[in-house]
Amino acid sequence: MRRQLRSRRAPASPYAYRYRLDDQDEVNQNYLADEEEEAEEEARVMVVPNLEEEEEEEEEEEEEEIEEKEKEEEKGQGQPAGNAWWQRWQIVSEYLWDPEKRMSLARTGLILVIYFFFYASLAAVITLCMYTLFLTISPYMPTFTERVKPPGVMIRPFAHSLNFNFNVSEPDTWQHYVISLNGFLQGYNDSLQEEMNVDCPPGQYFIQDGDEDEDKKACQFKRSFLKNCSGLEDPTFGYSTGQPCILLKMNRIVGFRPELGDPVKVSCKVQRGDENDIRSINYYPESASFDLRYYPYYGKLTHVNYTSPLVAMHFTDVVKNQAVPVQCQLKGKGIINDVINDRFVGNWQSGSEDKQAKK
Amino acid sequence: MAKKTLEIYSVELSGMKDIEQTDKGNGKEKYRGLKNCFEPKKNHRKEELTKELDLDDHKLSIKELEKKYGTNIITGLSSAQAAELLARNGPNALTPPKETPEIIKFFKQMVGGFSILLWIGAILCWIAYGIQYSMNTSSSLDNVYLGCVLALVIILTGIFAYYQEAKSTNIMATFNKMIPQQALVIRDSEKKTIPAEQLVVGDIVEIRGGDQIPADIRLLSVQGCKVDNSSLTGESEPQPRSSEFTHDSPLETKNIGFYSTTCLEGTATGMVINTGDRTIIGQIASLASGVGNEKTPIAIEIQHFVHIVAGVAVSIGILFFITAVSLKYQVLDSIIFLIGIIVANVPEGLLATVTVTLSLTAKRMAKKNCLVKNLEAVETLGSTSIICSDKTGTLTQNRMTVAHLWFDNQIFIADTSEDNSNQVFDQSSGTWASLSKIITLCNRAEFRPGQENVPIMKRVVAGDASETALLKFSEVILGDVMEIRKRNHKVAEIPFNSTNKFQLSIHKTDDPNDKRFLMVMKGAPERILEKCSTIMVNGQEQPLDKNTAEAFHTAYMELGGQGERVLGFCHLYLPADEFPETYTFDVDTMNFPTSNFCFVGLLSMIDPPRSTVPDAVTKCRSAGIKVIMVTGDHPITAKAIAKSVGIISANSETVEDIAKRLHIAVEQVNKRDAKAAVVTGMELKDMSPEQLDELLTNYPEIVFARTSPQQKLIIVEGCQMQNAVVAVTGDGVNDSPALKKADIGIAMGITGSDAAKNAADMILLDDNFASIVTGVEEGRLIFDNLKKTIAYTLTKNIAELCPFLIYITVGLPLPIGTITILFIDLGTDIIPSIALAYEKAESDIMNRKPRHKKKDRLVNEQLAMYSYLHIGLMQAVGAFVVYFTVYAQEGFKPSALINIRVEWENSNVNDLEDSYGQQWTWYQRKYLEWMGYTAFFVGIMVQQIADLIIRKTRRNSIFQQGLFRNKVIWVGIASQIIIALILSYGLGSVTALSFTMLRPQYWFVAVPFAILIWVYDEVRKLFIRLYPGSWWDKNMYY
Repeated sequence: MRRQLRSRRAPASPYAYRYRLDDQDEVNQNYLADEEEEAEEEARVMVVPNLEEEEEEEEEEEEEEIEEKEKEEEKGQGQPAGNAWWQRWQIVSEYLWDPEKRMSLARTGLILVIYFFFYASLAAVITLCMYTLFLTISPYMPTFTERVKPPGVMIRPFAHSLNFNFNVSEPDTWQHYVISLNGFLQGYNDSLQEEMNVDCPPGQYFIQDGDEDEDKKACQFKRSFLKNCSGLEDPTFGYSTGQPCILLKMNRIVGFRPELGDPVKVSCKVQRGDENDIRSINYYPESASFDLRYYPYYGKLTHVNYTSPLVAMHFTDVVKNQAVPVQCQLKGKGIINDVINDRFVGNWQSGSEDKQAKK
Repeated sequence: MAKKTLEIYSVELSGMKDIEQTDKGNGKEKYRGLKNCFEPKKNHRKEELTKELDLDDHKLSIKELEKKYGTNIITGLSSAQAAELLARNGPNALTPPKETPEIIKFFKQMVGGFSILLWIGAILCWIAYGIQYSMNTSSSLDNVYLGCVLALVIILTGIFAYYQEAKSTNIMATFNKMIPQQALVIRDSEKKTIPAEQLVVGDIVEIRGGDQIPADIRLLSVQGCKVDNSSLTGESEPQPRSSEFTHDSPLETKNIGFYSTTCLEGTATGMVINTGDRTIIGQIASLASGVGNEKTPIAIEIQHFVHIVAGVAVSIGILFFITAVSLKYQVLDSIIFLIGIIVANVPEGLLATVTVTLSLTAKRMAKKNCLVKNLEAVETLGSTSIICSDKTGTLTQNRMTVAHLWFDNQIFIADTSEDNSNQVFDQSSGTWASLSKIITLCNRAEFRPGQENVPIMKRVVAGDASETALLKFSEVILGDVMEIRKRNHKVAEIPFNSTNKFQLSIHKTDDPNDKRFLMVMKGAPERILEKCSTIMVNGQEQPLDKNTAEAFHTAYMELGGQGERVLGFCHLYLPADEFPETYTFDVDTMNFPTSNFCFVGLLSMIDPPRSTVPDAVTKCRSAGIKVIMVTGDHPITAKAIAKSVGIISANSETVEDIAKRLHIAVEQVNKRDAKAAVVTGMELKDMSPEQLDELLTNYPEIVFARTSPQQKLIIVEGCQMQNAVVAVTGDGVNDSPALKKADIGIAMGITGSDAAKNAADMILLDDNFASIVTGVEEGRLIFDNLKKTIAYTLTKNIAELCPFLIYITVGLPLPIGTITILFIDLGTDIIPSIALAYEKAESDIMNRKPRHKKKDRLVNEQLAMYSYLHIGLMQAVGAFVVYFTVYAQEGFKPSALINIRVEWENSNVNDLEDSYGQQWTWYQRKYLEWMGYTAFFVGIMVQQIADLIIRKTRRNSIFQQGLFRNKVIWVGIASQIIIALILSYGLGSVTALSFTMLRPQYWFVAVPFAILIWVYDEVRKLFIRLYPGSWWDKNMYY
């Protein structure tokens, strides 16, 4: 933009025009309209003192400066001792005020400062907005939960894919499931649960009235509830025998309560194909349901030790060497398990459960 | 090479020689430009113009001609010969200028502007899908859809732009329909009427008064034939024709009639010597088509703007592509980011909007009688800094009209306005009674029958220009001239001829008591005076003494000095005893006196300026536009007209005027004192480009007279060399090359020739120079408003771009989708940005200097900075607040969103925890993301309303401009809101569009930001108004 202003000045006086006759671009800008415009502009500038000096002055200044420089240079030749200093000063002064580009550090600095303040105030505004936003929303209870409902389900072990594909005789193919499950169930260890959480009465909501910001107690869900799938008796969770355990977990939603007296049940079946592919499934806990005492959830800020209830499915007799698509659904009042686009809401469909057990 | 050039231009321009010489002489950079201007055209023009030199048919005798063309002047060509020649030389018609094929025009729209960038986006989409597909055959088709949508957008906007272009060109189609001309030709010894198109070289044609000459013809026999060559030379005076060879130059000799000129009177027989494109007119026309069509200023501006935006898009895109790759994003993801950045950066709807805006203005101008052929020319007039106007027909009415009368020793002024109705001079004097009688009777012109209901001034007259002027003049003042002539029966007549220089007729008077014959005469004043011995003053005959003769001369000189054609009138009552009622007058033996007449008065005629022109010229002046007259007419006439219309203002003088006033030699005058200059073609010929440049620079008021078409071209080029945007007005064929060369050529709709109309960018349907002023005003307004439109459109690009940048760097869930961006750019924002075209001017744009082609850009740094870095960022912040509000209220506080991207987008993670410990499935998150898109969209939309309102003005406060004056803005705002509501609530369930319903309160989250934008901009404008010229003004005013 500075360059633009400069070329605008070019025809300001006939002399300036003369000077630039050799400059192809600037040759022809000297027509009357421009001259008048310049005169106006100059007049305006003179009335209002401002950051930019009056144009002609600048021009003169420039000329003077060049002249001065020349003089100084002559002087400098006479005084070789002061030459280095003079040159240094010149570099500095050119940095501060470069007559060629009509650009001064001060002015660039000013622009930067102004932008800095503008953006600082913009940042202040956004901070203020965020602050007011946080004032309006509770830290304990989300404002709206309609998007996270109905609850989704997730399985463990989970390793990148929902397909279970392993060879009984090759531990390498199922070892990672076992490790994953073991890791996941660490938090469910009986000792830990007994230490941290309370044993609350089953079959009813564990409602904890009181202030929002009070810490909430959590109900125990012991690893041993999972019986054969707890990994306590069979550390391989049945994978070594071709009877894999899969844990089903319902997504946490603050304040979610299944319809009263009717805990959410899990039931699995073959999704497509022969129903006899799965001959038997054992559920642990045997009720195949998420007990009411684990609800409601009060949010992670106050309900620190909340332990999600699990239902383990033990596929004790599944056809082998063949893909078996399994669908496990949550059943209960208020549970929607047929959302078209989301196969994780209310049900879980395994792409296939393909177990190869060579004998 | 110099030799060739010389050859080419020697016909009418030997100035080229000087150009070459000066160029060699000092070889300064400066002249190279001008020289270069000529070079590319050389080859184009060479062929035609060397042919012009070869034309020597006017020197040949009839026998030689017959031999040359194998014809016979009695029997004509045979049909077979004619057919053969027709097949060989083609029809006798001008080849229309080459049209770009429609399909190419169409494809140009498809690849022009931002289309290339969008094509890249679309192709990247498909490439991305290709990569996805190669990795996983079941990958989603989202990218394919997006690519198709982008392609669709390009094609639709392309079709739209093409349609708009085509619509404006179609208006022209009506002009191209010419009535097929007929020609009377002798073939096979028979007179036949054939379409003029079928004429061939060697045909013998007959021409009568009123005909258009159907081809270039060598006249063989002529009876009192006069032609109007004004379309060729600009000279409105009728030219007599004869069959003798009178001049070496084919243009000057009298025995050649030119194609498309009109035969005014008399009859002639001629031999066709050139047809179609080989005629002189055809050559000029092809000279015009040889002149390259330069880019219009607005096209340059738009290109500049496209470059800026594309530059920003590509550089940010590449920068972030590299950043993304170095941040260990997959290449596929990086490509998708790139697409997003491109789509966000490109204002897809803008070019279509600009087209609509231009065509709206074009429509508005068409209503005001400015027909715009080329949409982009709409703005050109606004940036025009020099108008080179033809005189005849543009500034003047192109018809002789009585301007002054002199009788009773007084000069009277006649009304020369278009309807002549207001003749206020003193008509009570007895002299006037006599004078009016002479004017009426000594006149051979007649109205064509059947025009009783046509206003007098518009009636068609058979007769030459001066006689027509006199006829109309007397008809207006005296009433039915034919009736008066009938009452004063004409008994004898000597028509005007160039040797006598007078016209005489003898009448019986309508006074039944007066049996004397009245002899009336008119002619060249000095000839008339010679024949007079008395002069009529106040109705009384007085002897013609020295004083009265002196008075006559003074008046004659004065009128003549104004460029007017002066005629003298005298009469003589023949004594009844010598010339009884039965006396037979014989014009050949002149058996009646031809001296001792009584001088009655003088009458002068001029082709008067149109009444609206002086005002329009003043307006152009105040708008900083220099008006130059370029005419083929005489310098004196040209100067007189220039003075009367204000092209040379009342108080400015030429060098010659000063010399005359101070009684010193022209050379002694200080050239700086003169403001005006009258330059003839001869002088121009001797001028170097340097001198021309100086001339154009130093004199604000210039008249070029006696110029040839090529010289007009040179003048236009000279003006363009000064970086001026040049408008040329003209009507004749001779103007067409200059019209084409000009940044904007303006042709006259009524009097304009087809060649001129073809070459022009704009047509004044009412031939009114004042319409140009309207055009300038509209052009300037549209430029200002386009600035506003672009500023409005660019602003939200930042708000669309920031989400992508933050998405890449901070890892938030994507705040706004590509499709959603398209819905803003091509949905909600379209009508508002068009609405800005209806904005009224902020201040008097006609008191402003024209914008400088190179300095006052459409999109300047200030505009881009203010739109991008100020308002744009504020919008982005506002939209992000809406986005964060939605996420926070749903459970994801901003802190939880940081770097969540990878998990968020992993469709296998179905228990992603939010800030409250709730777990989200992938689809639930996706839906929330769409809600975020919608929220961000609404945030931008709400702030765009504020943006629209602030863009109404650039300097004034909104309240000064009036919030409700432009109703269309409110239509725009309403459309914005309605489209957003439909998208959210109506199409919220269509998942492909990724819009969702939004709680009503979210629509208001961005409102404080909208208000902030408004306030901020008001403050900006306030400071600009308070401190004009300050740092703030220079950096914040766009």
